[in-house]
Amino acid sequence: MTRSITSPDNQKTPGRSMGRDILRAVIPPAFWLGVWQLAAMWVGRKAIAAAWAAGDSAALVKAVIEGKALLLPGPLLVLRTLAELAVTPLLWQSAALSLARIFSGFLGGAVLGGLLAAACAAFRPARLLLSPAVGVIRATPVASFIILLLLWVTTGLVPAVCAGLMVLPVVWGNMYKGIIQTDPLLLEGARTWRFGRWKTLRLVYLPSVLPYFASGCSTGLGLAWKAGVAAEVLCVPKLAIGSQVYYSKLYLETPSLFAWTITVLALSFLLDRIFGALFRRMERGRGA
Amino acid sequence: MNELRITGAAVRFGDKIVLDNFSLTLPLEGITALSAPSGSGKTTLMRVIAGLQSGESGTVDGPAPRDIAVLFQEDRLLPWRTVEEHITDVLPSRRRQEAEHWLALAELTGEEKSFPASLSGGMCRRLALARTLALGGALYLLDEPFNGVDPPRIGRILSRIRELGVPVLLASHDREVLDLADRVIVLEGPPLRVVP
Repeated sequence: MTRSITSPDNQKTPGRSMGRDILRAVIPPAFWLGVWQLAAMWVGRKAIAAAWAAGDSAALVKAVIEGKALLLPGPLLVLRTLAELAVTPLLWQSAALSLARIFSGFLGGAVLGGLLAAACAAFRPARLLLSPAVGVIRATPVASFIILLLLWVTTGLVPAVCAGLMVLPVVWGNMYKGIIQTDPLLLEGARTWRFGRWKTLRLVYLPSVLPYFASGCSTGLGLAWKAGVAAEVLCVPKLAIGSQVYYSKLYLETPSLFAWTITVLALSFLLDRIFGALFRRMERGRGA
Repeated sequence: MNELRITGAAVRFGDKIVLDNFSLTLPLEGITALSAPSGSGKTTLMRVIAGLQSGESGTVDGPAPRDIAVLFQEDRLLPWRTVEEHITDVLPSRRRQEAEHWLALAELTGEEKSFPASLSGGMCRRLALARTLALGGALYLLDEPFNGVDPPRIGRILSRIRELGVPVLLASHDREVLDLADRVIVLEGPPLRVVP
């Protein structure tokens, strides 16, 4: 019996593989957009039925596209609202400032979490001391933090500090785990290879901890966006996505609420991809 | 200092006595091979000599641990460093250009940019050996240095090691290695003892 040892991936022709990749990227979002459209039509079924009964095709198209906008606007209406927002400076300024606030909070939380993890790994008493505090931060509801922070810091700083506080425990936990799980054989080896502290840190600890840090950052990034936008909703800074979400709720502009939420999703997705690519690039140096 | 003297070494792991008042004197010249069955305690003895294992009693008179270059039983390669970087990492910056020489000694020329994941078991072993040799010192302590290395290479590499002029104490089961050593100490255990 002759048996091929070529893996299924290598048997694909490049064109077919690319087509399959495109289908894989397109089909899931298309399916969920379809579900959303059907749900919007179900919610707005009375308007659709009325337009159908009246034989008014323009009203029918409008009812299908918009659904019952207050409860669940259809995807096309949300897209139109987003397109309308995209030509105003409000969207870009709000997105830029929200990104700056939340990303700076994320960076602060990640750096502080990493430093505290290193301190805890180096001095066991530090872990005993810090563990309960980090546990409290992890378990405290975001809303409590936001309200407390509103009393302690200026409004513009609340989303950043809140995002940082959400990221800190995640990065701290992951980094600590990574540091204490660094291969003891490599650490013993580093002593016999006459590596100093800095060289051991650079060549043994950092590469060992990198996957843990990447995983913490990936989880922390999502949390930072959730907490940061929630803080913006509650403290309403002048130019912020969260403030616009708040105004959408205040004026019952559901399509606008959806459009701003999509903006948050897009920014979060973009940052996640940038970080993913950055960490993959760093991992490539591991010969993986 | 022209000899290595271990006197009254005692090491136990829980209830298991590995070294019990163990004494041995070895000349610090040429290649000395320790031959012992697996699990007899020879790795523990080598760790004691390297200053990596403390015991209940005993003394070691010989080169200071910082002057001993150790090859562990495991390769202990860094998956994120290239073959060449494994060597340059242990060399002082002024001797970086020597990497080529040590890789040639271990017959790894052409693999400079490879990562350990793409090397065979024998190549990984030779890389670990090259790194230890590049470290230099007053004594090379090599635990199973030729595990997985094909016999024709063993003779070639061992003769190059001999030319370095640094005393070598190695542990091996390999007949080929034992035959090429200047002296062979046969041990058994645990507890480890010299077979007369």
